[in-house]
Amino acid sequence: MKTPTRFGRALLILPPYLWLLVFFLAPFALVMAISLSEVRLGMPPYTPLFSRDGLVLSFRLNFENYAFLLRDDIYVRAYLSSVKIAVISTFITLLVAYPLAYGISRASDRWRPILVFLVIVPFWSSLLIRVYSWIGILRNDGLLNWLLLKLGVISSPLAIMNTETAIYIGIVYTYLPFMVLPIYSALSGADETLVEAARDLGCSPFAAFWRVTFPLSLSGVAAGCALVLIPAIGEFVIPDLLGGADTQMIGRTIWLEFFNNRDWPIASAITVILLAILVVPIIAVQSRLARTRM
Amino acid sequence: MSSSSFISIENVVKTFGAFTAIDGISLGIGQGEFFSLLGPSGCGKSTLLRMLAGFETPDSGRILLDGADVTEIPAHRRPTNMMFQSYALFPHLTVRKNIAFGLVQDRVDRAEIGKRIAEVAEKLHLEPMLERKPAQLSGGQRQRVALARALVKRPKVLLLDEPLGALDKNLRLQTQHELVRLQKELGLTFIIVTHDQHEAMTVSSRIAIMKQGKVLQIGTPEAVYETPSSRYVAKFLGETNIYEGVAGERDGESIALDSDEAGGRLLGQRIDGVRPGDRVWLSVRPERIELRPSGEGLPGTIEDVSYIGAERRYWLRLESGAMLEALRINHGLGDDFAVGDPVVARWDARAAHLLTE
Repeated sequence: MKTPTRFGRALLILPPYLWLLVFFLAPFALVMAISLSEVRLGMPPYTPLFSRDGLVLSFRLNFENYAFLLRDDIYVRAYLSSVKIAVISTFITLLVAYPLAYGISRASDRWRPILVFLVIVPFWSSLLIRVYSWIGILRNDGLLNWLLLKLGVISSPLAIMNTETAIYIGIVYTYLPFMVLPIYSALSGADETLVEAARDLGCSPFAAFWRVTFPLSLSGVAAGCALVLIPAIGEFVIPDLLGGADTQMIGRTIWLEFFNNRDWPIASAITVILLAILVVPIIAVQSRLARTRM
Repeated sequence: MSSSSFISIENVVKTFGAFTAIDGISLGIGQGEFFSLLGPSGCGKSTLLRMLAGFETPDSGRILLDGADVTEIPAHRRPTNMMFQSYALFPHLTVRKNIAFGLVQDRVDRAEIGKRIAEVAEKLHLEPMLERKPAQLSGGQRQRVALARALVKRPKVLLLDEPLGALDKNLRLQTQHELVRLQKELGLTFIIVTHDQHEAMTVSSRIAIMKQGKVLQIGTPEAVYETPSSRYVAKFLGETNIYEGVAGERDGESIALDSDEAGGRLLGQRIDGVRPGDRVWLSVRPERIELRPSGEGLPGTIEDVSYIGAERRYWLRLESGAMLEALRINHGLGDDFAVGDPVVARWDARAAHLLTE
């Protein structure tokens, strides 16, 4: 096969880079710019960065928005609460997803595609509809309470709706496939004879899993955790619909600032900081994947 | 099976669905033997090895190791270690940790682990690569790590599944001798599975030739080559010419046989139990056939020659229409034959072997 020329290679990676430039980098630059402006009444609801006075082009950067975010601890608390909820939900998702992925990877050839398909099936309906149906399940006179009351497990309805528990349930449910699929892929790609080699060297089935299968699936675990953690931190729909008024997550805070307070510069500053927080786990996962590929 | 065997396999049967992988095998292996299971793929040799390792359980029959019944003992509690065909090195661990893996599992103390790794690393020339990952090693180095990882546990029996299959020819030959040296030095019992007859002949003290889940013959390399028990074994080990015929009267140490296939009367070494009039086969190996331009023997015409350097391989068309293969050392005297030359083939009666099945 001919080695691709430098030009050919550039041509191939150009479309995705253009896509990122137009739909990610440019909007982000706008958000960045707005975060450095001042709020004002009118349209647009922020002051321009650049002003022209005759031939003199001047621009003013306003870092006051960022300073404000640090001063008012409501924002710091919203960030911390988002990170906490996202980390805990990611961990619970991992606990649920790993056995599921392991089971699917060990299923017979006939069953495996069906089980993978079942994991993906929820994507076929809208996220909003699925979250709304959780309201039907979780509310005080909902399905879950009805069932538990009927079975005599509880004597009065559990108040799950509008609590952090409801948010955890919603996030774990919604993001489960994102955790199952990369772990499944790592597990099913592993060489079965490695487990036999571990058994041969004295490992019980559990020890063989712990010393060989699990470490070899860590790249899948890392990818799955990133795929859950990153969107979960900025999650808006689930806390808005399932959570209570006292749970302030950052996605909701951004929404409130944009649409209730019409304070675009503050909302933009929150967004920029959120992105900065997310960059840390993304880079961690990237470098981990790069190392395992070596 | 004799009770003195270090390993005895007794009437073992194993089926996978409708497929019978092991069809009633009994054999005994002595302590310190280098024993080969030889056969084509699908003959059951790997299944038998995996049963010795504990990865498969026989449907019926028993396996005894050093006097103990291990038939139902799982792999991790058996005093056997296996070297896998793919080597199965743990890709996430360094060479050192790969070798230490089994010792760590057995909770051997750290100082002892260090000592034993140093020993085995020296023996197998692995010192310079102990901190590398398997992906950074060549095929030959990986093979040695796999061997070290199994040997460091000091198993009673080392099981080797096509251990040299992935190596190139020169390295394979060198490693065969290395294995034999190591096995003698350690005094361990080695059981090797291979489909390569040269490999089996080179390394083994005894060979079991397998076909379709059965053992056809067991013996030293010399015994199975010189006195194969069947046409299948004769053809599987090396090349041979086989002609069907009817046994004649005994004549001292030899028997004559009338073969329509070869178009004449052939001489072979007598074997017990053959009576005049029996249907028998004669097997004569290419290197034992003498070709001359004329004289007594089976006449034929050279149909093809292949020049291999040290030797020439001739294919003759006999007058009966059958083919005969003959091997001649290249003495460099210019007495070689060319395609189309008429020749006669003859051999000593002691050089040919009669077969009854």
